[in-house]
Amino acid sequence: MTWTDAILFASRGLVRRRSRAVLTLMAVTLAAALLTALMMITETGRSRVLDQLSRGGPLAGIRVDEALGEDEVDRVRRLPDVAAVVPIATTRLLVAADGEVVAAAEAGTDADAPPMAVANAAAEVEGVVGVDLGQADNLPITVLAGRLPGIGSTTEVAVDQRWLERRGVAQGEEANIIGSEVVLGTLREGTGGRSDLFAVRWTRALVVGAVAQETATGAVLAPLPVVLEARAWAATSGETGAGEDLGPEAGDDYEALFVVARGLNQVDEARQQLEDLGLPSEAPENLIASVLRYLHVVELVLASIGVIALVIAALGIANALLAAVRERRREIGVLKAIGARDRDVRRVFLLEAFALGLGGGLAGTALGWAIARGVGAVVNDYLSAQGLVGVTVALPWAVMGGGILGSAVLALIAGTAPALRAARLPAHDAMEEG
Amino acid sequence: MTRAAATPTTAAQSEPATGDGCRGAAVEVRKLSHRYETAGRPLVVLDAISFSIPPGGYVALTGASGAGKSTLVSILGGLEPPQSGQVHVGGNDLHGLGGDELAAYRRSTIGFVFQHFGLLDTLTASENVEMALTLAGIRPRARRARALELLAAVGLADRAAHRPAALSGGERQRVAIARALANRSRLVLADEPTGNLDEGAATRVLDLLEQLPTDRNCTLVVVTHDRAVAERAPVRLHLVEGRLSAP
Repeated sequence: MTWTDAILFASRGLVRRRSRAVLTLMAVTLAAALLTALMMITETGRSRVLDQLSRGGPLAGIRVDEALGEDEVDRVRRLPDVAAVVPIATTRLLVAADGEVVAAAEAGTDADAPPMAVANAAAEVEGVVGVDLGQADNLPITVLAGRLPGIGSTTEVAVDQRWLERRGVAQGEEANIIGSEVVLGTLREGTGGRSDLFAVRWTRALVVGAVAQETATGAVLAPLPVVLEARAWAATSGETGAGEDLGPEAGDDYEALFVVARGLNQVDEARQQLEDLGLPSEAPENLIASVLRYLHVVELVLASIGVIALVIAALGIANALLAAVRERRREIGVLKAIGARDRDVRRVFLLEAFALGLGGGLAGTALGWAIARGVGAVVNDYLSAQGLVGVTVALPWAVMGGGILGSAVLALIAGTAPALRAARLPAHDAMEEG
Repeated sequence: MTRAAATPTTAAQSEPATGDGCRGAAVEVRKLSHRYETAGRPLVVLDAISFSIPPGGYVALTGASGAGKSTLVSILGGLEPPQSGQVHVGGNDLHGLGGDELAAYRRSTIGFVFQHFGLLDTLTASENVEMALTLAGIRPRARRARALELLAAVGLADRAAHRPAALSGGERQRVAIARALANRSRLVLADEPTGNLDEGAATRVLDLLEQLPTDRNCTLVVVTHDRAVAERAPVRLHLVEGRLSAP
């Protein structure tokens, strides 16, 4: 008997005994639906948690708070478990919002004071963080409003939450400061050969975004050239560092590095390699690993529930097929009497089991997807009411494939014993009456 | 032990038939014994019986219930292997055949007609006949044509698409006969073929079966406890408690 003939004969058997087949199919469908829905919900929860965690920085990020030169940065880049390195340069500048300068001018008693002197009076010393914004995806930066400054721009900056808090900008109103201007004053010591005088270079910059960033301490996030130029200008006197810490020591280009390991599992190795270079580091992976472990436990529990349901359904298939074997003893005997081999009979019963499993798996996965989407809609309504961002329920290929193939394979396993029993039935059962 | 009155023959003497007929199988049974293990003691169902049937022969096998008729048919039909003695059917020594070999033997040599008809209720009359051809590996187009041809030969051309449940007892048995002939069987074993039929249907079925040795050169063994049916056969084997005796 060819596979095609066996498939046709098995399908006839299922259709003929459709009540039992439908009930068995429903059991497999419900089990596969349960498994799929639980796995989808778990996967969504996991993604959501990881997404929240990654807001504090890329998951595989490592901080190195050491002043480093370009050569040392290159050595870090060459480490085997390092995927990316983002140097961080910081400086401290006099910073004032444009409106604050105007307010200072209006409040000033000396109407003839030059504008820069007014700015000087309004400004405060703030930390300015400069990074290569072309690698912003690798950094713990979240844009709250607007956008990040242009990669090579010297006239655009973003302000940090610290800046906003000090100026009383409420959460959710960050967009109001987009488009305003700030003035940045770079200090240089010892102008005109007098150590008690400072020179200040003022520049204007457009605020294009509000961010939450943990790259380094600072109220302003700027493209790397802004910080490097300011430091270069300040250093022209050759006497930096007096009074204010304006930058790294001579020979060091950056104050810190943000190193991204090749994966979560490589964070430990990457940290060890940094340690070997004499660079102490810190990483949030311990927290993430703990959360992942808890999530894994939840996944296991939910998946177990689904698998148990599927196993019960498989037992249902085995039971239905065993009953069919009992009922069809004479039919099997007749098949053998007209020339069927044991393997022909076995094939027919295995195909019936496979069809039930595959059909149930397909229907169950679709039903599970619908259930998970329904649950997702309810959860999103709740999150929306709480003012939180909703979740997106997706059906991963692994879950879909696992649901369908898992059901089919489990059904095949469940059908093996009845199929073997059917194949071993003696041919002389064909002679039996009744 | 009784030697049945039949033309002495050997398996090699089987002659090929012409046209759609089959090569009748010679049946040679020597000292065949068979027993079943029961709770108390072994139950001897066949006790060293010997007989032979020539190719194209027609034999009625009679006996009371439990005399061993069905067991003998099972062994001749390859449904179970002989325990002791020799059984040759159409040149096949059944004693040494394994599972797949017995299946091949049943496919190529034997045609069964059961009292309960033995039709698969999920298939139509045509598909029931086709099933025997399917198991023999015949391609769909050829087996469909052959099935319709055989159903026409038993007068059921217009019932080909009906399922067994929609057929009368006599019609079902005629479908079973068509199926038994599908692979040009050399030995047709009919186990109480009229047991579930009314008189008219029984006569028609017997007429059809009796044409097999003459029209198709098949060897025919009809098991019956009905004296009238048995008397239609030229040769009768009578089993009494596992032994052949004079009818």
